[in-house]
Amino acid sequence: MNRMEELLRAFRNIADNPKAQLEKYRAEGKKAVGCMLYFCPEELVYAAGMIPFGLWGARTQAVEAKRYLPAFICSVLQTTLELGIRGAYDGLEAVMIPILCDSLKGMDGNWRYSVPHIPVIPVAHAQNRKTEAGVAFTASQYRKVKARLEEIAGRAITDADIRDAVSVYNARRAVMRRFLELCARKPGLLKPSERNAVFKSSCFMDVREHAGMVSELVALMEEAPAGEFKGPKIVTSGIMADHPNLLQILDDLGYAVVDDEVTHESLRFRADVPETEDPIEGMARQVGNIEGCSVLFDPEKNRGKMLVDLAKKSGADGVLLVLTKFCDPEEYDYVPIKRMLDAAGIPAIQVEIDQQTAENAQTLTALETFRGILGY
Amino acid sequence: MLGVDIGSTTSKCVVMRDGAEIIGSAVIPVGTGTSGPARAMEAALKDAGLTQADMDVTAATGYGRNTLSEAGHVFSELSCHARGAYWLFPGVRTVLDIGGQDAKALSVLPGGKLGGFVMNDKCAAGTGRFLEVMARILDIDLDTLSRLDLESQECVEISSTCTVFAESEVISQLSKGTKPEDLAAAISRAVAFRGCGLLRRLGLTEPLFMTGGVARHGGVVRAIEAELKIPVHTDQRAQLAGAIGAALMAYDKITREGE
Ligand code: SF4
Repeated sequence: MNRMEELLRAFRNIADNPKAQLEKYRAEGKKAVGCMLYFCPEELVYAAGMIPFGLWGARTQAVEAKRYLPAFICSVLQTTLELGIRGAYDGLEAVMIPILCDSLKGMDGNWRYSVPHIPVIPVAHAQNRKTEAGVAFTASQYRKVKARLEEIAGRAITDADIRDAVSVYNARRAVMRRFLELCARKPGLLKPSERNAVFKSSCFMDVREHAGMVSELVALMEEAPAGEFKGPKIVTSGIMADHPNLLQILDDLGYAVVDDEVTHESLRFRADVPETEDPIEGMARQVGNIEGCSVLFDPEKNRGKMLVDLAKKSGADGVLLVLTKFCDPEEYDYVPIKRMLDAAGIPAIQVEIDQQTAENAQTLTALETFRGILGY
Repeated sequence: MLGVDIGSTTSKCVVMRDGAEIIGSAVIPVGTGTSGPARAMEAALKDAGLTQADMDVTAATGYGRNTLSEAGHVFSELSCHARGAYWLFPGVRTVLDIGGQDAKALSVLPGGKLGGFVMNDKCAAGTGRFLEVMARILDIDLDTLSRLDLESQECVEISSTCTVFAESEVISQLSKGTKPEDLAAAISRAVAFRGCGLLRRLGLTEPLFMTGGVARHGGVVRAIEAELKIPVHTDQRAQLAGAIGAALMAYDKITREGE
């Protein structure tokens, strides 16, 4: 096994075993704070000397969570709550829960009731996140979060701590963007599942450790010959493109993911935190600068245009829209996105994914057919 | 050429000569994981008066396409339905395929190539399975159900698109004394509305052709025509469209390779 294979295997291993990571950090005497799904202010956790730990559910059946959530709540939340109830996140000092969609709004209460031993820190982002009033609101909420984190860490978080955290996080964002660019430049070098593991592992790792591994991978990818890739090249879009069966199907059918607009993947790394005098204000501004995400309000509906640009820039043959079943924000975005892709002549398909299903024959049929439509 | 379409509830098979003519066919009402595919192949070959050894090529499609050991070629059912529908009805631009377990709307490019598609979610609502369940509750066979709407005098509604809920709705309508013919029309409309939803999502270009087992259900075809206010074309052999498409795609492949 060469070094690149070793690294890719290590990313996969970490992505598949978050609990082991959590235990490892705890054994090192570190505290960890859960960051549920989208845009939790991880830098503040890091600034307090703790490990931010991502909660994104998993491919599993929700059984206990069904006592609290009706069947039409997305599987991302169903399985996240399920894992919480089953004790998979035991060891976290607290969990930050954003309120960015209607289903997430009820999550705070459900979590307090069903996982009472892991306290909740609500994170409210301003709906009008780009306006000055919106930035001020988000910043004020982040200050409340900071106060809670200080209690947990048992120490004050200074502006200098936050600035340091921001620069560490921005450095990782930069290396992740280089990684993204290489995936586009050298299609086929990484399988879709391998590419996914690089993103997914970032949720469960110390930021410096992850950035170090990605830097090493990026250097190896730079050196690797580009080779001639003969398969279909796609851009993926959605909340998550993480279902093991979906990744297996993409691998087996020889697809290359040359870029993405997936919240769980590149959208977490595209926008840096601007350096401002008040570092918390900079963090609030960053949320206003993220584009192309269904859960962040965008009156301009730029996501479709962004996707068209990404597809053109990366030389993709088509776009795969991965719809998380029962996700309203994603459903609402679909129509304008599809229209823009159609108008630009970019072939696109939508597949619906549920983290709870173990069988994806329909996805296989759709992706096999799409490959044919793309001419492969 | 032998084309086999192994569906979720039915196995279809055609024997074709030179990509031009169907010389044998069979439909067996059990699908993947059963004896259906083998029986359909045997019956179609018998119909053609040939044996498997006479076949230059065997191609499989449908839900169970990857399970047929005889298949030299395997194609997705979406491409096959588009190709098969184009052969049955040249010039078709949109295909609505409603089978036993799922429904698909396909846009067809000139020449029969698939342009795009929309599939329903994995759910029995709006599919052949829904009709089967409803026929059982009304205690009639599927053929009768497909004609009974013609006698309907009064418009009743089944509000739910979920098979399980619709089942209890139909039962309560029956106990209220609603006439079976009115319910038959409502059942057809329920399936038609789901199909029309897929077509609208895809973007409909005429002519529209229906394939799959439900294409033989006159009530549903009439309900779609009424809803869309356009003619819905179909063919006695529409249920074989997937198998025909598989045979034709394999034929295209071997003739291309032979050139
Ligand atoms: S945005 Fe969609 S996927 Fe995410 S929590 Fe809300 S409903 Fe679920």
